[in-house]
Amino acid sequence: MSITYVDAIREAQEQLLKDDPRVFLYGQDISRFGGAFKATKGLADAYPGRVLDSPISEDAMVGMAIGSAIDGMRPILEMQFADFSSVGFNQIVNQAATHFYRTGIPVPITVRLPSGGTPGSGPFHSQSMESIYAHYPGLVVVTPATVSDAYQMLIESVALDDPVLYCEHKFLYRWLKAPKIDHDGLPLGRARITRHGRHATIVTYSAMVHEAVRAADRLQQESGWEIEVVDLRTVKPLDMDTVLASVARTGRLLTLGESFPWGGVTAEVVARVCSEGFHLLDAPPKRLNSRDTPVPYHPNLWAAHRPTPESICIAMRELLSF
Amino acid sequence: MPQLGESIAEATVVRIDIAIGDVVKADQEVIEVETQKATMGVTTLCQGVVRELNVQEGETYAVGTTLGLLEVEADEVEKTGVETLEAAAEKRVNTAAEEEEKNLHFAVDDDTYEERQPVVEPSVKGLPVPAGVMGAHYISPRMRARMAELGLREADISAVVGTGAGGRVTVQDLEAFLDYIEEWPSSQASPMRLAVADAMRRSWSRPLATVSRPVRLDRALDHRRAQDPKPGLTLYLLRAFALALAEDPASAGFLIGERIVHPRAFDIGVAVQVEDGVVVPVLRNVDSMNLGQLTGAYAEMVDRARRRRLTEDDTRGGIATVTNFGTFGLTNGTPIPLPNETLILGLAAGEKKPIWSKEVEAFVPATEAELAVTFDHRVVDGGGAGLLLARIAELLQSPEKL
Amino acid sequence: MLEARQLETKLASLYKAGKIVGGVYLGKGQEAVSASLGGSLKWKHDVFAPLIRDQGGRTAFGEDLLDCARTYLGSVEGPMRGRDGNIHRGRPAEGLLAMISHLGAAVPVVTGMLLARRLKGELDGVVGATCIGDGGTSTGAFHEGLNAAAVEKLPLVVVVANNQFAYSTPNDRQFACEDLYDRAKGYGVAGHRVDGTDFLACLRVIGGAVASARAGGGPQMVVANLLRLSGHGEHDDGSYVPDTLRAGHLGQDCMDVARQQMVDSGYATAEEIEGWRSELEDRVQRALAKAQQETKPDPWHETWQACSQNPALPFEA
Repeated sequence: MSITYVDAIREAQEQLLKDDPRVFLYGQDISRFGGAFKATKGLADAYPGRVLDSPISEDAMVGMAIGSAIDGMRPILEMQFADFSSVGFNQIVNQAATHFYRTGIPVPITVRLPSGGTPGSGPFHSQSMESIYAHYPGLVVVTPATVSDAYQMLIESVALDDPVLYCEHKFLYRWLKAPKIDHDGLPLGRARITRHGRHATIVTYSAMVHEAVRAADRLQQESGWEIEVVDLRTVKPLDMDTVLASVARTGRLLTLGESFPWGGVTAEVVARVCSEGFHLLDAPPKRLNSRDTPVPYHPNLWAAHRPTPESICIAMRELLSF
Repeated sequence: MPQLGESIAEATVVRIDIAIGDVVKADQEVIEVETQKATMGVTTLCQGVVRELNVQEGETYAVGTTLGLLEVEADEVEKTGVETLEAAAEKRVNTAAEEEEKNLHFAVDDDTYEERQPVVEPSVKGLPVPAGVMGAHYISPRMRARMAELGLREADISAVVGTGAGGRVTVQDLEAFLDYIEEWPSSQASPMRLAVADAMRRSWSRPLATVSRPVRLDRALDHRRAQDPKPGLTLYLLRAFALALAEDPASAGFLIGERIVHPRAFDIGVAVQVEDGVVVPVLRNVDSMNLGQLTGAYAEMVDRARRRRLTEDDTRGGIATVTNFGTFGLTNGTPIPLPNETLILGLAAGEKKPIWSKEVEAFVPATEAELAVTFDHRVVDGGGAGLLLARIAELLQSPEKL
Repeated sequence: MLEARQLETKLASLYKAGKIVGGVYLGKGQEAVSASLGGSLKWKHDVFAPLIRDQGGRTAFGEDLLDCARTYLGSVEGPMRGRDGNIHRGRPAEGLLAMISHLGAAVPVVTGMLLARRLKGELDGVVGATCIGDGGTSTGAFHEGLNAAAVEKLPLVVVVANNQFAYSTPNDRQFACEDLYDRAKGYGVAGHRVDGTDFLACLRVIGGAVASARAGGGPQMVVANLLRLSGHGEHDDGSYVPDTLRAGHLGQDCMDVARQQMVDSGYATAEEIEGWRSELEDRVQRALAKAQQETKPDPWHETWQACSQNPALPFEA
């Protein structure tokens, strides 16, 4: 018996509904239908009146979640796709993100963003929004990469008093399985060393953690390089202690992300390592992101748009040969 | 002048509806002003008598300008909370004191900030800057930090073969090299050795060149034999060097940025070999002292150098150095000047050899030695160095003038 | 209403005397509408999200004069502590939301608060209300929020103060329907219309809409017609408002109308009203004087923290 990434998200929500009367779920097609990805399957029946279908109104959805949170609830909002959260962007960055700073009253909402690409999803069902939201003060942005993190970090996101953008990767939904949910106790906001190494560090998050590990295995088999992989888990706030400690061990850094290349999480990590850990670097840090175009539809193009184990290996060889 | 709109910095006074001595009510519009956005009335904060008007119709004033002053009853001040002149002055004093303290945290003060013109311009079009960053001599930030930790200099790792891009030495290469030399016997270098090493390494960062020519020493040697006490040959050289430099001080100048720094006095050092190193005591004003005067000072200085009793003052401020490596039997050499000097003059061992004499049209015996000068080629050229050597050779032919 | 007018008159004066940084936005001409709404709501029981011209409603709802004075003058004693200013203030824990500048954004937030009350089983007898202008009705948030409230049948009252201009843009460049009131039917909410210059009519219609929502009548939309008797803010002289409009029915000052209505109905004499005015003027003056003398925010003691918690610290779920 094994549990998938999307099962873990569903189970976390079930646990939250069970344990905390303040929790309710709001989103498009999430009630009886169980959500576009079945992340809320069966929950409407088990918790009647607490799993609500919303109109196709992302602005209103976020606004209502904010209002309910101000009034003491712990809403979990499901965006059908992370891409559509751009319609609710104003409420997220101007209402939710500023509220605690302005009024002293925190806004404990959790916005689930089904993120990232899957073959054939095209430009509007494949985006990764974590870099956009991480830019704003007042928001916490989490990007779980494992089944247990998907479960545990959703529980912790809802418990947090501040607005959390919970970026769940659609590719991992059914692809990623674990024998059981088995959390190592690492709290939200802490990065994890997923794979130990001493020649170079890859800092990444979400689905790219698995691509990085595959590339690292290949480099070890083919050339004996030992690559350390750091899973950020939370991209805002950034756990620079873990990142810098890893770079101190290896002296070389690749930051890897699936979002667009201009700015963003990968750029932020490189900038901070350069300014806080310049003396640790034996080679110029590298970044690897998707290409600078919208996410293409056709699987052939899509597979070449995002970083792959092959493109990661090429980048790593450049980094290692400096 | 109030801030009338978010992007407004100034406003023009269109009309003044009051005069000095007028009694005004609270919230009365007393002055009409105009901005790019609109025309507005400026109101009074409280009831009072107009005592001062600082503005004129048609003139433009910055936001924050005091337009005028009202004389106000004390209870009106209390009721409306308006700011009095005394309170404003007190606040300014307090703020100024606070600002002064706070400015410690700010690199730029608003009042004095001037936009700076860019001073760095791209040197060569299309060439990545800095050029050659991938080359063999590129030292990464981590290498630099590791070398600093170990007290290593670039010169120390010149033996390491790099495996990085363009043959650069990576940290792994360095660590492997350090492991390798662990297998060799080693000993702790003396402080003297390290001091010489440091000076030579720093000096070697410049383009140094050496030229030499033979000089006749017979007359100097003859002159020396007639003296009591006998001055060392080094002193003849020292004097000739000082006099030659006094005629052309710029050749001993050193280059800092775009400036040649000229000698302040003709204080010249003498290299003295001591145990495990070389020290260079400096003799002062060599151009204005005669051989007799120098002899005692020199002997005393050399003695102290050998006993390691030189003070910092004894070795400070030289503009050039003389070394008589001929005393080791060497017939040639390329000495290295101190890092803060442009020139070093070296004398090799004299040899008696037959020299063709034009006067007697025959070979005659003569004592000759190579005289070498090493110079910073940024400051002096080969021709200039040659002329300097020629002049010294000439002066050595008239030892009685030294 | 009277207090709001006194307060705003004084704020305008302080602004023109250079004592207020940023902007001053007045509700002059909108007091009858706003106060009728605020006065129909109960502090700490109902939810109210005022917009920029709602001093009347804020005061009637129960906001302390000092909250306004302190926020405009940047006192650290105020609810916003200098982190936000002027009309961007509120006490969300008491049901008074702090507006953001994005128009319409408050509609779904009030709706969400009402949804929370329902989920907690505390909705009975509760009303959530917000104001918006004619321009704000063109935003997506207004539409989405009102639609969502209608879907959930929540007791939301949206009062549209149609003051004929959104900043300088007249109605005919803002919407094409004959009357904004017609939209109510499209949303499936109860619609009401009222002359915003007529105080008694406002009390009746707006108070009625609130009572209807409170009684389970679902969302209500009231469109009040009026004219803004000031600029958009005090930096704006409103020169684009035609004189004919100022001289017409909408140009009449709701304060004058209200005063006359109270005298005519025998509720108060002109002398009594003048007595209230002078007392309120004094209270306003003292509140502003107090706020002006209070401590201003100090950047060296500001926390500069945008989140209430640091998730990187050991965390217990």
